[in-house]
Amino acid sequence: MSTAPTGHPSLAELQEIERRYLMRTYRRAPVEFVRGEGALLWDAEGREYLDFLAGISVCSVGHCHPAVVEAVREQAGRLMHVSNLFYTEPMLRLAERLSRSSLGGRAFFSNSGAEANECAIKVARKHAHRRGVEAPEIVSFERDFHGRTYGALAATPKLAANEALGPMLPGFRSVPFDDAAALREAVGPNTAAVLIEPIQGEAGVYPVGEEALLAAREACDAVGALLIFDEIQTGVGRTGSLWAYEQTPVRPDVLTTAKALGGGLPIGACVTSPQAGDVLERGDHGSTFAGGPVASAAALAVLDLVDDAALLRGVREKGAALREALLGLEGVREVRGRGLMLGVGLDASIDATAIGVDLLERGLIVNVPEPGTLRLLPPLTVDSDQIERAVALIGESLVSFQPA
Amino acid sequence: MSSEKLPRQGRRPSSVAEAAERLAAIVEAAERAASSVIDDAEEEARRRLDEADARADRLVAARLRTLADELDPPAGDGEPPRLRRIDRNDAAPHDAGPRGLAPRRSGSAGARLLATQMAVSGSSREEIEQRLRSGFDIEDTNEILDAILGPED
Repeated sequence: MSTAPTGHPSLAELQEIERRYLMRTYRRAPVEFVRGEGALLWDAEGREYLDFLAGISVCSVGHCHPAVVEAVREQAGRLMHVSNLFYTEPMLRLAERLSRSSLGGRAFFSNSGAEANECAIKVARKHAHRRGVEAPEIVSFERDFHGRTYGALAATPKLAANEALGPMLPGFRSVPFDDAAALREAVGPNTAAVLIEPIQGEAGVYPVGEEALLAAREACDAVGALLIFDEIQTGVGRTGSLWAYEQTPVRPDVLTTAKALGGGLPIGACVTSPQAGDVLERGDHGSTFAGGPVASAAALAVLDLVDDAALLRGVREKGAALREALLGLEGVREVRGRGLMLGVGLDASIDATAIGVDLLERGLIVNVPEPGTLRLLPPLTVDSDQIERAVALIGESLVSFQPA
Repeated sequence: MSSEKLPRQGRRPSSVAEAAERLAAIVEAAERAASSVIDDAEEEARRRLDEADARADRLVAARLRTLADELDPPAGDGEPPRLRRIDRNDAAPHDAGPRGLAPRRSGSAGARLLATQMAVSGSSREEIEQRLRSGFDIEDTNEILDAILGPED
């Protein structure tokens, strides 16, 4: 039965509108979703899907969590926007909460993860100029993904190689992933920051090893550079702690967050240590919409849910159970990641893209970030029955694609 | 306090039955009021217990964060950015790992910071112990764990 309102356009009609009026920057799966609840989604035909992508780790408390919906509804009915020229309580409460739950410094709000990284890049460059560095440089890992705005793009080597979008912002370099020796060598007097994802997400879920993390911290400390963790995908409970750095042997000077922070509304933040909190001053940065009351109210509701020892323990336990079950499937070579951020490495003979398409047809939403890998990012609130169902569907799909 | 209206004072009862009925109504209203007071008291007690729990959690978190800061002290005003170095002398005798990288730091500040941060984030003793063993090759994790979580009972 269709769950779409009467008179709702067909998928073909929507695709025709897309063809004529949308820039062709995405390849979309041929499904229109119209409703979500928890880990479930329904398309316009009324078909139910189990969502193990959660809007690329955005809907971490599940679709339309009642507490988030209520917070948004209440705030939207009272005050939606006044700009950053005035005070609004939700933003200030959120800044306090983010600071106290992480690095203890200051926050700058943005509307996306890429923008949060833009802020971090500005912090790093200005911090370097204060050290007397004339041509500051930011070092990241190959295959890191930090966003698509020009600063973030320059720190995303794979995308920055697209010459059609050039010239790129200067002052960025990359080293092979997880290569501690290369990182040490790359960091020098001109280094403003090392900007890394503690677990590469878009690349296919690859955690940075402890050696490389310690090397990054040590190298930054040696020259006075900042260590910046892009926690846009790993943060807000995804890995089983509120921030992924909490499960590493280092503390960054700056972290960036977005995606899950707003529970579905667009909000990001760049959060600093106390030392890096005073680098940006009036006029250095700004954003009209950022930290708006509705998105901030949503983020506070999300943090109320996620910053909870029992929920985070559940993420670690469910993640471990999911990993274990996946490793038992025919065709699964390895499972990478932490908590409920998992990359499932498939046998070389299996076409992961075909598996992703097949799973969608079976009613399970996953993502294929690279050939040979399925990425699973279920809502943190997913239950064990849903995990079992997902594993069964993946198992059935893998069996159906095994070479004869 | 119940919002039930009590019978108005000063009216003379027309009969014994009516008086009994009014008395019953008064008793019933009083019982409802008492019940409401008990509910309020229980609610207040629950709220205070929740607050105490939350306060205790905050104290533990603050204590653990202080420990983390001691391992990774913030610089004072006007000082250069943090220049904490992980002491090479802290390193394990030798475990170069892949690609001949820096030695792993058994018992190092990194291991202690990992344990402290995991404790702050709510990880169990067992979970922290497992990470210390797998990430740092630490055989006896008790020294670190006891320092952060207190000795096991």
